[in-house]
Amino acid sequence: MTDMSVSVSSNAHLAAQQPLPEAPAKVTVRNLNFYYGEHHALKNINLTLGANRVTAFIGPSGCGKSTLLRIFNRMYDLYPGQRATGQLMLDQTNVLDPRLDLNLLRARVGMVFQKPTPFPMTIYENIAFGIRLYEKISKSEMDGRVEKALRGGALWNEVKDKLNASGLSLSGGQQQRLCIARTVAVRPEVILFDEPCSALDPISTAKVEELIQELSEDYTIAIVTHNMQQAARVSDKTAFMYLGELIEFDDTSKIFTSPSDRRTQDYITGRFG
Amino acid sequence: MAVESNVIDAAGPYDRAKALSAFKLGDVTFYWITRLSAISVLLILGGIIISLIVGAFPAMKEYGFSFLWTQRWAPSADPPVLGALGPIYGTLVTSFIAMLIAIPVGLGIAIFLTELCPQWLRRPIGMAIELLAGIPSIIYGMWGFFVLGPFLANTFQPFMIKIFDGVPVLGAIFAGPPSYLSLFNAALILAIMVLPFITSISVDVFKTVPPVLKEAAYGVGCTTWEVVRSVVIPYTRVGVIGGIMLALGRALGETMAVTFIIGNSFRISSSIFAPGTTISAAIASEFAESDGLHQSGLILLGLLLFVLTFFVLAGARLMLMRLDKKAGK
Repeated sequence: MTDMSVSVSSNAHLAAQQPLPEAPAKVTVRNLNFYYGEHHALKNINLTLGANRVTAFIGPSGCGKSTLLRIFNRMYDLYPGQRATGQLMLDQTNVLDPRLDLNLLRARVGMVFQKPTPFPMTIYENIAFGIRLYEKISKSEMDGRVEKALRGGALWNEVKDKLNASGLSLSGGQQQRLCIARTVAVRPEVILFDEPCSALDPISTAKVEELIQELSEDYTIAIVTHNMQQAARVSDKTAFMYLGELIEFDDTSKIFTSPSDRRTQDYITGRFG
Repeated sequence: MAVESNVIDAAGPYDRAKALSAFKLGDVTFYWITRLSAISVLLILGGIIISLIVGAFPAMKEYGFSFLWTQRWAPSADPPVLGALGPIYGTLVTSFIAMLIAIPVGLGIAIFLTELCPQWLRRPIGMAIELLAGIPSIIYGMWGFFVLGPFLANTFQPFMIKIFDGVPVLGAIFAGPPSYLSLFNAALILAIMVLPFITSISVDVFKTVPPVLKEAAYGVGCTTWEVVRSVVIPYTRVGVIGGIMLALGRALGETMAVTFIIGNSFRISSSIFAPGTTISAAIASEFAESDGLHQSGLILLGLLLFVLTFFVLAGARLMLMRLDKKAGK
């Protein structure tokens, strides 16, 4: 795992392993607890997502990374018996406020899932659909927005001649980039990636990782991953979670070269997890 | 199983060829049994069509295509005059109204059950729907006759007349003297009868939508309605349309309940509150006392129903193909 630092240094963001200056906080998590019914899944989480930074969440399966991600856009609200306590602020908005307009929240906090989830409609409609929820714009304006989003998803050149084909006809990697484009099209502030590459081949993975890097110029990004090289490649900050607790949260370069907690060290060197 | 072990015992552990040949025989038998089962469907279908055509032939020869657009039905006249326009009209109108009511209500129940309903209410409603499907059609007929009929005639129709009196088309649809037995009564009962088909099939296919797909739609900020309209229904439309077609097939052919409450009048009236008849109701109420040309005419009606149902199913297929094309498949 010592070669990790090499792959880190190949990353433009982390060149020379100099962490970027502290960014202003975009999302602040204070004393967050989460329960699946009786099960206490997240214990007293405290962390901050910096604006326009990529924060990676790593840890063994079942440690609560995805659970944490699903609190950021209140996705857990769809299921009965799941609840969160504590505080989670998106800028000045209290995300856990029960009176919060969830549709508006989810427009501000977009999400890309583990498996590609194109909607059962054409490629064009997949993008236009989200935009239409919030804005009434003309056909030509919509064409422009769709193109921009597909370019943002690094997919435009591959699909520009078949915008009316079904989104389901694309390959897995293309579908995932379509989903990213769809998320970007709504102009969110934060984008959550829940293991976005675990169903993709290496080439598609590289494309998506590159895309995540580019997106961090405009968006605040949180990514859950099982792939530690990926965390090292794409993120500025890394959070290591274990059994529902946040063990260590620091600059990615520090986590992967000189972690301060024994468990983090063991995990990134592959001794467990 | 017994054969297999005997063969192995006799030939020793390494001679597998014999054991396999026993399997092969079993496989051939299996192949032929399934094949014959499949062929029997074609034979039965063909037999029904042929016997219908043979039975209907005298009437076909006598009336030709004018059977389709003659309204008069006078089997005891000399010579008998038979026209199918009344039953065809009644069948189409009752089924159309029934689907008009049952599709939105059935889909609404299915959506509520899968997307919105609190857990504890799910089972009672689901069971009620299943029980609704289990009620014998004659019970529906009696209920329509004794409960729904009087209510429609005494309360609902006067109310509709009051609202729509003088409105050009709608006025005529609701006009006329009150009658317990009417097309609308039959259509309402049909709607209730086919509701469980639409609901239970829709619930089943709605459950096949991957949760992550719904989450993705919620994730771009959709409301529940938008998720259902843009993701759940498009994703499941083949199944939903299949359920609707099954329901429509049932509505077109339903006999007992309809015979009870439709009034069995061959006259076509503009009002949906007037008595009418359907193809199956006409056959059921007259077949026992019919003979000769009259009976042949009734068989011809049955053949027409067969053809009508076939066209409905074919139309559904065509519609699905169009939808697929539109969705870019």
